[in-house]
Amino acid sequence: MINRRNFLTTVALGTASAAFLSACGQSSSSSKTGSAENPVTITYTWWGNDDRAERTRKAIALFESKNPDVKVNGNFTDFAGYWQKRATEAAGGGLPDVMQWDLSYLRDYGQRNQLLDLGTVKINTDAFDKSLLPSGQIRGKTYGIPTSTNAFAVYYDPAKLKAMGIAEPDGTWNYKEFNSFLAEVGQKGNGTLFGGTDYTGVWWMFNIWLRQNNIQAFTDEGKLGFSKDDLKKWWNTTAQLRGTSAIVGEDKTTQLLPKSPFGSNVTATEVTWDNFMAGYLGDSGAKELKLVPVPSDNSDNLGLFLKPSMLMVASAKTKYKDAAARFIDFMVNDPEVGQIFKTSRGVPASKTQRDGTTFEGTDKLVVDYEKSIEKYLKDAPEPPIVGFGTLESSFKRVSSDLNYGKLTIDGAADAWFKEAEDLIKQNA
Amino acid sequence: MTTMATPTQSTPATPAPVYNPKSESGTAKRIKSIIFHIVALALVGVVLYPALWMVASSFKPNSEIGGSTTQLWSNNFSFDNFVTAMDGIGGVSTLTFFTNSLILAVGAVVGTILSASVSAYAFARINFPGRGIFFGMMIATLLLPFHVVIIPQYIVFQQLGLVDTYVPLLIGKFLAADAFFVFLMVQFMRNLPAELDEAARIDGAGHVRIFGSIMLPLMKPALISTSIFSFIWSWNDFLGPLLYLNTPEKYPLPLALRLFVDQTQSSDYGAMIAMSVLALLPVLVFFLVFQRYIVEGVSTQGLKG
Repeated sequence: MINRRNFLTTVALGTASAAFLSACGQSSSSSKTGSAENPVTITYTWWGNDDRAERTRKAIALFESKNPDVKVNGNFTDFAGYWQKRATEAAGGGLPDVMQWDLSYLRDYGQRNQLLDLGTVKINTDAFDKSLLPSGQIRGKTYGIPTSTNAFAVYYDPAKLKAMGIAEPDGTWNYKEFNSFLAEVGQKGNGTLFGGTDYTGVWWMFNIWLRQNNIQAFTDEGKLGFSKDDLKKWWNTTAQLRGTSAIVGEDKTTQLLPKSPFGSNVTATEVTWDNFMAGYLGDSGAKELKLVPVPSDNSDNLGLFLKPSMLMVASAKTKYKDAAARFIDFMVNDPEVGQIFKTSRGVPASKTQRDGTTFEGTDKLVVDYEKSIEKYLKDAPEPPIVGFGTLESSFKRVSSDLNYGKLTIDGAADAWFKEAEDLIKQNA
Repeated sequence: MTTMATPTQSTPATPAPVYNPKSESGTAKRIKSIIFHIVALALVGVVLYPALWMVASSFKPNSEIGGSTTQLWSNNFSFDNFVTAMDGIGGVSTLTFFTNSLILAVGAVVGTILSASVSAYAFARINFPGRGIFFGMMIATLLLPFHVVIIPQYIVFQQLGLVDTYVPLLIGKFLAADAFFVFLMVQFMRNLPAELDEAARIDGAGHVRIFGSIMLPLMKPALISTSIFSFIWSWNDFLGPLLYLNTPEKYPLPLALRLFVDQTQSSDYGAMIAMSVLALLPVLVFFLVFQRYIVEGVSTQGLKG
């Protein structure tokens, strides 16, 4: 059964791929344009909840009113399903024209030539922090434009600290001070409130510690840039705290899933990305949560950086490069789009968008935090290596075995290194 | 499905405590029976606890679900979650999701019943050349994991321009691609006495007549079991719709449910659980209405006719 529409699609696909083949090298000549009477339709897909769907719909409507020659067909799924779907589509050759993207999948799809080199189309990146753009680039090609940023932080609940008579931290602390702070909370928490989770189990915190010590997590060749001894040293940082009330037990953490201990009011602090704020506030029901910088033994180098909380990418096979580029440019730069999304995607990455947005309440907290750490920011790391997601979760698992006491620090470092090296070899 | 059937089957197996004056151990029997019932009820409690937790949680505010709160019932009882759940997602009403799920499930049942019964008749009653090989091949597809064929299948439907329609999800059902159901019916038919068809054939009936007037009525238990499983599987299917449907207006319930939980932002567990409760109702009703036929379908083996 081939109806007119399908027939047209098939023909269009055929011509597009023929044009694509003949146009290798002289890019963008295959791009099609529409007119107000006869608009082209591009598909845009994203992950997220009801709230994001609502906001994105508004942004799309605004884009269509400003660009009458382009129609945007928006689709969404949940995060986990999103990647299953993309993997199948990529294999079947049918990726949507424009996609919301996550940093950990950028290298994978970029290297397999599934994504459009956005350097070849017109997208304005003048308003972006120069330290941020490398995170969307692989070997000189720009595959993703960050929509928004997040930064690492220590969260705490001021009300809980006040109730225990503990002074609020100001974020200028070294690891020893941070540890004794956790221990104090745990001691005064009387078994119902713990200091925090074991921060040495968080990959990004380890990465920041490496940066503080001027060690690269991954080399340019995609190998591990740190040694087993570095990792042992890192896991030794909290050796005195494991099993005490400074750190919430692994069994308890598991019981609380899918919520985090911090969101369940079991700990007074948490070390993670600053865009979790809204989620924590919702989960815990706390009135106010605050953010301070991570500890560092070198007060000049906090190892902090801005990470794209999400990126915009286009399919390498899109028929409408020009329309796709205009839509991406609009989504990342337009001040009105900033006003629609606020910080629900993270803090807007583009200055024009950030300046055009009024931030209130929680949003303001996160934006102010990122402003306060501006002087410490260094270049964002390149997109993580292929298979990074597996490495990150095995880091979490091995360190939770460490907390259960199933592994010694040496054994844990051996176990993780073996997994990591196998994985890197596999993907090489 | 088997776990759902267990508690209902275990109850009739209990011997009713009949008063027997000749037996001296009447009281002992009664005590035994009471103990048995207590143990059985305790087991049922364990099995049903997650369901109970789900129903109880659907009336709780978000911050009291999971986490450190262990109370089953909340003092802040409210229907808010159901209101949010019925509001729909991103401008698509929840009723749309229900309708889509229903279209897919009913389509799957109709397709499977029509195609599987005809194919099963051919395998069980018609002696065509290569029957053994074809039957073997059909069984072999049971051993092929679904994940192996995902991508080739996707490419086929993508080239045909059928992605984002219900065709990829339903066409297999209408072409007897569910080997399990064909196999179930073949086994069922083989147990029906061949004399019945022979008698019909002597009276001048062809295959169509034999199938329609003799086989189908006798196969009622097998048809009903097939409908039940096919309905429930389709209702709960997540991966198929995820891969083939793009427009949110076409999403069935399992896809919509996942949209309430977003680990990268805030998650509305309350609304998700409330919607799960609502999504469970049709399947539960369907199961309750037809569950006696499942037992019948397994036990009669067709000799009743």
